Amino acid sequence: MRQQYARRTQVLTLAMGLIALAIIVQMTRIQNSAEAAIFRQQASNYAYELRTFYPDRGEIYDRNGHLLAGNKSVYEIGVDLNIVKDPNAIATAVSVELGIDYSQILDTIQNPPEGLSYVVIADFIEAKQASNLQELKKTLEEQAAQGVRGGLTGLEFKSHPQRSYPEDALASNIIGFVNREGRGYFGVEEKYNTLLAGNPVQVLVPTDPNKASEITRVPDGTTLVLTINRDLQAAAEQILDEALITYEAQGGTIVVMDPRNGELLAMAVTPRMDLNQFWNYGVIYDRANEFNPAISMPYEPGSVVKILTMAAALDSGIATPGTTYLDTGSILVGGATIQNWDQELWGVQDMTGCLQHSLNVCMATLSTQMGANAFYSYMDNFGLGHLTGIDMSGEAPGRLKFPGDADWYPVDLGTNSFGQGLTATPIQIMMAASSVANHGRTVTPHALFAMVRDGRQYNVPAQFAGSPISTQTADMLSGMLAVSLELEDSLALVPGYRIAGKTGTAQIPVDGFYDNTQTNASFIGWGPIDDPQFMIYVWLERPATSIWGSETAAPVFGEMAEKTIILLDIPPDSIRQQIVAK
Amino acid sequence: MNIQNVNQNFNHMVHAYKVAPWRIQRQWIGSAFGVVVVLAMVATLYLDVTSKAAIAGREIQDLTASITISQQVSADLQTEYATLTSSSVMKQRALELGFRPMKSREAEYLVVAGYTVPQPDILSSAPLPQLSVLSILPEYNESLLDWVDEQIALSSRGLR
Repeated sequence: MRQQYARRTQVLTLAMGLIALAIIVQMTRIQNSAEAAIFRQQASNYAYELRTFYPDRGEIYDRNGHLLAGNKSVYEIGVDLNIVKDPNAIATAVSVELGIDYSQILDTIQNPPEGLSYVVIADFIEAKQASNLQELKKTLEEQAAQGVRGGLTGLEFKSHPQRSYPEDALASNIIGFVNREGRGYFGVEEKYNTLLAGNPVQVLVPTDPNKASEITRVPDGTTLVLTINRDLQAAAEQILDEALITYEAQGGTIVVMDPRNGELLAMAVTPRMDLNQFWNYGVIYDRANEFNPAISMPYEPGSVVKILTMAAALDSGIATPGTTYLDTGSILVGGATIQNWDQELWGVQDMTGCLQHSLNVCMATLSTQMGANAFYSYMDNFGLGHLTGIDMSGEAPGRLKFPGDADWYPVDLGTNSFGQGLTATPIQIMMAASSVANHGRTVTPHALFAMVRDGRQYNVPAQFAGSPISTQTADMLSGMLAVSLELEDSLALVPGYRIAGKTGTAQIPVDGFYDNTQTNASFIGWGPIDDPQFMIYVWLERPATSIWGSETAAPVFGEMAEKTIILLDIPPDSIRQQIVAK
Repeated sequence: MNIQNVNQNFNHMVHAYKVAPWRIQRQWIGSAFGVVVVLAMVATLYLDVTSKAAIAGREIQDLTASITISQQVSADLQTEYATLTSSSVMKQRALELGFRPMKSREAEYLVVAGYTVPQPDILSSAPLPQLSVLSILPEYNESLLDWVDEQIALSSRGLR
């Protein structure tokens, strides 16, 4: 009996052992089969997900920390076609909330392109509208659970950042804009696009929670701090807008710069664009150079160039402030007669009188006495005809013809001396005149004050572009320009502050001839002259109330200078001298 | 006499118990059961640690998503704040409160000894908190099979 049980037990053990062995063999075979290799490969494909992390675009601040360009969340709204239950409900809800055509939405959902499981209905939707839709979806889902009606199942919301400009159109010409593809256009947005955008990073992200040990950190784009003073910019734009109405001008520019280091404090132009609605660009502008005329629209600046001619004459020793000459009202240069702006003769004048009365004949006399080589060498050193290197996109160089150029004529030596027959942008004239205001050293205008990356701020140092004239010449000329304004009782003067400056009235060439009724009125000035803290350039295009810069651009300069003095806390000369004396 | 018989019977019973064949079987069964219990304990421990690691991993993923959302919210709020304090809005508010732009002649300047004009230095140079790669020991995130694989790989490298 016992032996019989023992035998049965042995058979049973053997059978179970064989089964266990068969299972192990089968497991081993499956594990090492070709199919297993395929499955392992598929598993490894899903073990990690290749994701591209796009850094947030760097912000742009003004010099006092006011946000000029930031980022905000907007939403892409789409439909997951695999789980959608009620296309009609989705089409109704979205069309009511977003104002999109109902039939268009319904068609998109019901007739999607071949092979798609997700379709986008709308993108760049404001957070508030997306939130309303999300609330509606939630409410309808609750009602759908109670069997009342179909929900918005399948309606998906994906947030992503979009550029936002809190100041709307303020400083639009300086900032530029970013399109929906994330590319910057114009201004610092284009100039520093690579820095602002940052570098997208592609990372293999493990889907297995056990391997979620690494946090992908994508550094944001570099934040920029501009030299612009927001309040001064707003004031400049307001003054410019009012000036266009007052003087019935067709366009205008006001630029405020610190002549000691080239920092741009304000740059107002017309027209301006609400950067949050950049798609209106084509409606507002006909040509790209209209976006920021201050740097991209060269024009014949007229008599403001007399500052440079006089600087060259003084520096080269051709003249001194006390040098006199007899103004006969005309001069023959290169076979052409050049006359004064009023076609009158002014008799004996010294060099200050030349500037005070803005005598063309005087300037043509100086340039011809200097000779073409010396004159154009100075103009070249002042930077006319060259890019200033300002850190904004779209700068134009203007044109200064030189002897030997096919279109240069001897008369140009005369006309160029008072700013006709050459073209320059306002920022070029400012850069050139900065050598006079800044004791002989030319500054490079720039809009970038600092960059902030990884929590560290890197300040941008001032750059100097040479010394075309001596310190003595610069200071002497500043004094002469201040005296000429005071003797003229210019509308540009600000009580309590000594200011140097020069008007410019340039006829506009129409069909190859200068039109006496259409002018570009300009004024450039700086102050206080013993310690210049601001330089202002005003350009009014075709003012209708008066063609003269002294009656249009000069008072605008005066108004802008007063505002600048207040906003920059510049005490009157008498107070500053007290401070210096102590 | 009786006492001797009782002792003999007791010794016989002890001897019979010691040599009983079913006792050996039970010893084998007990040993096998012990092995099963130990294996079950190891498996339980392994499952516990693995599940905790998975939960921690999932929390890391959730926190990473939360960080991203917080950054988005922060950017949104910053932009909204800038909009609410924009130049045009502040000017309008000032006018509504009865303020007006001043003229330069209305300004009064006082000489304050030691006062220096503040320079624009709006953002500190202090480094931001850095989110660096976490350094987690492999013991906390590798499975038992990973560990066995690693040990086999190490031994095979040692054999070479």
